Amino acid sequence: MGVSCVYSYPVPEGRSGAQVVEVLQKQVETLGGIKAGNFIVDCETYQSVMLNPPKTLHILHNSEHPASCFAILDSGATLVADTLFNGLVLYLKNFYQARKGAKIESKGQRFQLSDFVLKIGSVSLAGSMKGVLVEVEYCPSVVAADCWNLMKELLQSLIGNVAENPPPSLKPKMDETYTPAMTMLQYLDHFNSFRTAAAMGQPLR
Amino acid sequence: MAAPSVNVCVEAALENPIQEVKYDGQEVYVAPLTMSENLSKLAHKINFFKDESEEKGKPTSEGERETDEEKVLAPFQPSLWPWDSVRNKLKSALTEISVLYDVLSIVKEKHYMVTDPVSQDAPELKAPLQMIAKKKSLVSVCQILNTGADRLKRVQAEMDSNTQDNFLWELLQLRKNWRLKKVHNTILGELSYKSAGSRFWQGGTFEVLKTSDLAAEGDVTNKKSSLDVSIPSELEGVAYIQVEVKSVPDLIDLTSATLKMPASLGAVSADAYWQQKLETAHNVLFCKELFAQLAREAVQIKGSTPHLVVGNQILTNVFPGFQLSIVLCHYTGKEKKVNLSPTKPEHNHVLEHSLHQLLRKVHDNNLNTSPPHPVNSMLGMTKRRRLAGPQAMSRQELVQMTHSESILEQIVKQTRHAVLRIRSMNVIDQLAITMQDPQICAHWSCLNNSLESSVRLTITSYCFEANRTPLILIIGIDNIRVILREGGTCVLSFEENELRDFLQWQICQHHAQSVQTLAKLHGWQVLSAIVSSGHGDIETYGTTSTVMLASPKGNVILAFHSSPVNGSKLSVKKVDTSLESNISPAVTAAKWASLAGEFKEVNLSQLEGRNLTGKIDMLMARLTVLS
Repeated sequence: MGVSCVYSYPVPEGRSGAQVVEVLQKQVETLGGIKAGNFIVDCETYQSVMLNPPKTLHILHNSEHPASCFAILDSGATLVADTLFNGLVLYLKNFYQARKGAKIESKGQRFQLSDFVLKIGSVSLAGSMKGVLVEVEYCPSVVAADCWNLMKELLQSLIGNVAENPPPSLKPKMDETYTPAMTMLQYLDHFNSFRTAAAMGQPLR
Repeated sequence: MAAPSVNVCVEAALENPIQEVKYDGQEVYVAPLTMSENLSKLAHKINFFKDESEEKGKPTSEGERETDEEKVLAPFQPSLWPWDSVRNKLKSALTEISVLYDVLSIVKEKHYMVTDPVSQDAPELKAPLQMIAKKKSLVSVCQILNTGADRLKRVQAEMDSNTQDNFLWELLQLRKNWRLKKVHNTILGELSYKSAGSRFWQGGTFEVLKTSDLAAEGDVTNKKSSLDVSIPSELEGVAYIQVEVKSVPDLIDLTSATLKMPASLGAVSADAYWQQKLETAHNVLFCKELFAQLAREAVQIKGSTPHLVVGNQILTNVFPGFQLSIVLCHYTGKEKKVNLSPTKPEHNHVLEHSLHQLLRKVHDNNLNTSPPHPVNSMLGMTKRRRLAGPQAMSRQELVQMTHSESILEQIVKQTRHAVLRIRSMNVIDQLAITMQDPQICAHWSCLNNSLESSVRLTITSYCFEANRTPLILIIGIDNIRVILREGGTCVLSFEENELRDFLQWQICQHHAQSVQTLAKLHGWQVLSAIVSSGHGDIETYGTTSTVMLASPKGNVILAFHSSPVNGSKLSVKKVDTSLESNISPAVTAAKWASLAGEFKEVNLSQLEGRNLTGKIDMLMARLTVLS
């Protein structure tokens, strides 16, 4: 398991998300990346029924870990479980209800660049595209602090100054052994920001 | 009362007294008395002669005869003294007792009278009558013994003959080993391995029969049991899997593929005990399943080398020049006698056993799923697979987990290892036998498995064992890993020659090392010791090791070259410092004065010494003295 960093690439005005994705993909291929299939990271949100204030539960899946299911509470506590956990959540219908129209996913191509795995995904919430997420994983390392400089170099060549600092959820844990749950936390942060941006954008219309 | 009272039950014993005990141990009781009998018994106890007339005046019973006269003469006088009768009775009792007392005293005292037994005449002996009586009694005794003997004979005959009881007992024994079920009137049994996890299409059902008594009653039946089994026709005979590893010069020896080799197996006779018949049929089924599985894998799985399936034989190359042949030999007894091929096939029992074990393992995995057995999840997942979710294993790791080896692949691996091990053994042994100079000692490890073995080699020179070169060879499936003296490792391929060359090279290095050790012993200085020197021509394999030594005084220089191809060379240079003329001030010590010069080669074969190290030892000793 390597170290991954997820960044949201801002879509400049006048360009569509698809164009941005196209450009990024070309860049990766110029760097020497080879296409290695597709990937999808999705998130469903559940709200507690009885509690006040209501607690939120996010269920994430990652195609990179097909046998696993990640459950994250809003306090940051994560659970890594087998895919049967999905069935279990259905049994909890009376306590945790799915929030309608809150399913968000990041889908796209997966590239292999020797030790690196690059993923360029377009984020879609309820069918409409909301942004672009770039994930870079460096497989040999397990500690973020050791390889941050190397990753920063690659990231900056790809997405520029967006990758100035490590992702905020990763910053306090740079010296710990990296786990896949940390990747999902990063994705969740981005998904939440996309959701709030969408919610904010709606009343303006 | 402190203690609780105990109920005590008192009852009369209802036992009837025993009248007689018969000869066969039966007891005959006295019949209990009926009511009327009991009454008459009690009536007999009544004393009807007792005088009661004075007391009660009742008419006496019939037994007593009292005259009317007496009755008239003696009128009933109730006013008479009431104790009169008692007094009379006591008087008479007294009289009787005194009489008895007198008699007893006479008998005891023996003063006046003596009692003497009266001799009676012996009864007349009637001999014929006695004989007849004795004969009768003997006859009755004989009759009793005869009946007993007849009964025993009958039981014995029953045990020997095939009766219903014997069949049932045999059936019980059969049920202990095999599964049986009753279908209408027949009893069927199961021969297949389905309950052990097999998924083979062919099942074996055998029928249990009673052997009918065809022979007449008087004949001695020579059948062993009253139970017989009928095996299905496709499982008749004897079968085994023959595994052979042979070296063929060509890639695949196709001529041997057409030879069927039913080796001289004993067929199962019809008279054999049912357990033997069933076991043989069971084995036939197992061999068939094993061969079917291997053939299927040979056809389906695309390995690095092609497998050839011809009839009942599977051929595959394990190494170039080595071929593994697996043959299903099924001898039913109906084939014509085939002349055995001139070369008797060498059956590899170890590999055959491995094949059996592998198939049993497959069966076992089919049945025994590893725990836990949850209700909601899939059964049969390994522990790693179950933990894949919670541990967030990546796609690569999951894909790796799905790889499983087939039986054919596994047996090919085992064969490869076996061949490699035997070949390495041969190489090492040959080298150890032919090479006298450094001695090679091989210790094979006891801890090995079918895919890996290890051997520890020690190269020493006789009498100079202080310096020894250890080598550890780990023989894998198709390569050999070597751990060298310094701890480095290298990997050799399966070629024989590579191992031989490598060992030769190590021997050369050992020589060079021994020369260095000698220098320490003699006090010579090692000027240079290079393991892989770049001097001279490039050899076909290995590298030259060179050592240069200087004597303590510095005037003799020894150069030793050891090469695996060209052998060992020794050259000596004697330096005479006095001859040197122009010595520049940069030269500080005499030994640096003449580094160049003529080296003269020494003829090692003519030196005295048992081995190379000994020879150089001798030479160095002499040179030290001379200088």
